[in-house]
Amino acid sequence: MIKITVNGREVEADPTKPLIAACDDSGIDVPRYCYHPAMEPKGSCRICQVEVSEGGRPGRVMAACRTQVSEGMVVNTEADGAHDARRECLEFLLKNHPLDCPICDKAGECTLQDYSFQEQQAAGRTGEPRANLEKRVDLGDVIMLDQERCILCTRCVRFQEEVTKKPELTNAGLASNSYITTFAGRPLTGNYQGNLADVCPVGALTLKPFRFKARVWNLEKSSSTCAECSRGCSISVEVLRRGDVKRIRPVFNPDVNQWWMCDTGRFSFPEVNDPERLLGGLVANGADLMGSTTGEAIKHAASVLSTSGSKVLIASPFLTVEEAERVQPLAAAIGAELLFVSPDANDLKDDLLHTGDPCPNRKGLENAGFRGISPKDAADRVTGADAAVLVGERILKLLGGFDLGATKLVTFDTTACLASGVEACIATPFYVEKAGTWINVDGHEGELTIARPLPSSVSPLETSLEELTKTLSRTGASV
Amino acid sequence: MVIVKRKQLSFSEKLYLPEILKGMSMTFRAMFKPRTTRQYPEEPLPVNEVTRGQPRLATNDEDGSIRCVSCGLCEAACPAYAITIDGQDTDRNAITIGGDVTEKFIEREPESFDIDMLRCILCGFCEEACPKDAIFMSDELELADFNRNDLIYGLDKLKRPVSQLRPRIDYIYKVNERWQAPSSTR
Ligand code: SF4
Ligand code: SF4
Ligand code: SF4
Ligand code: FES
Repeated sequence: MIKITVNGREVEADPTKPLIAACDDSGIDVPRYCYHPAMEPKGSCRICQVEVSEGGRPGRVMAACRTQVSEGMVVNTEADGAHDARRECLEFLLKNHPLDCPICDKAGECTLQDYSFQEQQAAGRTGEPRANLEKRVDLGDVIMLDQERCILCTRCVRFQEEVTKKPELTNAGLASNSYITTFAGRPLTGNYQGNLADVCPVGALTLKPFRFKARVWNLEKSSSTCAECSRGCSISVEVLRRGDVKRIRPVFNPDVNQWWMCDTGRFSFPEVNDPERLLGGLVANGADLMGSTTGEAIKHAASVLSTSGSKVLIASPFLTVEEAERVQPLAAAIGAELLFVSPDANDLKDDLLHTGDPCPNRKGLENAGFRGISPKDAADRVTGADAAVLVGERILKLLGGFDLGATKLVTFDTTACLASGVEACIATPFYVEKAGTWINVDGHEGELTIARPLPSSVSPLETSLEELTKTLSRTGASV
Repeated sequence: MVIVKRKQLSFSEKLYLPEILKGMSMTFRAMFKPRTTRQYPEEPLPVNEVTRGQPRLATNDEDGSIRCVSCGLCEAACPAYAITIDGQDTDRNAITIGGDVTEKFIEREPESFDIDMLRCILCGFCEEACPKDAIFMSDELELADFNRNDLIYGLDKLKRPVSQLRPRIDYIYKVNERWQAPSSTR
């Protein structure tokens, strides 16, 4: 570590990193387009210019992302010369920019907008027509490219070269006719394409599944943890008008996912927007299932459980640590073993993030004394018992359809099970509607926060479980 | 503290009837004088381009397509939270005005566009915010219905041909000319 002075303040700097990283570490904001901490600095956009003076010489304006720090360096990010340089840079960038912010999905989180506003640079001095490039280039299932909006920072190219190590994009053409394209126009592949839209500082690469779905300033963002594998990437869950989740994006977490996430997780949000979700509860009424409140369903479940013989309890690997704590006393009350469904690893495993294990809280459940069993084993145990309790999000989906036989079933899930033999279904929240903890494959805790309000007819799983346990102990005492 | 003395009534005032007759005579005299109030609603209010009536969405005269690209700026500007917009992809191509292609693609258009007229305070912020000359304050002022839901106007009730909004558009441009050059997309 060496010492440099930035804006009159002495700060520590890592000599192996460029000056812009030292500014970031000390909380001083320097504009950037092409610099990304995960990639080799390229120095192509020149927006990061700051005034640097070394050894008492007069300050010179230089690109902070391509400047090595040296002992005693004096940096002024707000010097007039630096602002002039940035304004000139912006004038060039905007020269060929279509400025179609009203239809651009990046608007609102676009740094081109932000820096033009900050630097008060909007007007240009040329009357030349703007470049005429392709506005809608379909790059496969995930990404749409607008070549006119591209500022040629090549972050996308470097992301593939340096992070996924599978280059598919390139910068073609010469000088002002340069554009981004895929090799031979082939569509993009892989499970990390969504990150391209995140690294692109402008609206050139946008997500097709999010295309025109919402304006970003209308989205309410909450930090959470991804549910699709045991890596548990830190994410931001973005909800429109307290209803549907419209977008999931990675949040920087140096211990888990860095800046990235896979497309499986990113586009998993339809799962939590299920219009058919169960509200309240269902209780068996003769051969039919009848709608009820969760309270009634729990009462019915308690009476069924207290009158049947052998019982099993199967938990979902989506249970949070806090929910698992409430399952333990319930399992003890009905005399069942602590088990959770642990599906086979899927083929999504890769070297970057995805672990191939679809259980987001495997570690947490194992720490709490649960044992993982295969879905087939779980189904056999359910059909072999007199009564069974299935607890947790997606448990019905994980077990798949099976014939219940004579087993009486009580389920806690976001959906209902309509098979005959089902005694009670109790609605539970989706993971975006609960607060709790998951423990990932490396033992890191991933926090869940409430990203959207729970419907009034659904109670938190912890509450439902506690209530069932309490009701059971009361009926047990009276029997 | 102020002390207000009661007026002492005269004898005829105390009798009550003469005062009533005085009042009645005034009423009868006024009946034959020229009218000074407007006979609304038989006689509608005069409107002109300065009238800031209910907001309406402009559609192009050429093909009846809507100008709005559902950018949401009016939604964000609306101080009464009266506007709700959902966007969608569109394949509609460039609009041509006076032989010039003014835009390559529209790309995006509203899937639904609702203005809750009961919330709208007719402030005109949406008109001012719109970058696409798509929403203008019309000269339509009347608003009555039997239930609240019907007063949430959707696309069907909001669309108006540009030619109908033209006087207002010209007026807005004239006002704005003070600080900006008129655009060619007008
Ligand atoms: S990239 Fe940014 S500046 Fe360009 S059109 Fe999109 S929002 Fe506007
Ligand atoms: S598409 Fe985006 S990330 Fe790629 S070079 Fe252009 S602006 Fe940069
Ligand atoms: S500001 Fe104009 S273009 Fe944007 S959504 Fe409103 S009416 Fe449509
Ligand atoms: S961020 Fe430094 S040149 Fe682009």
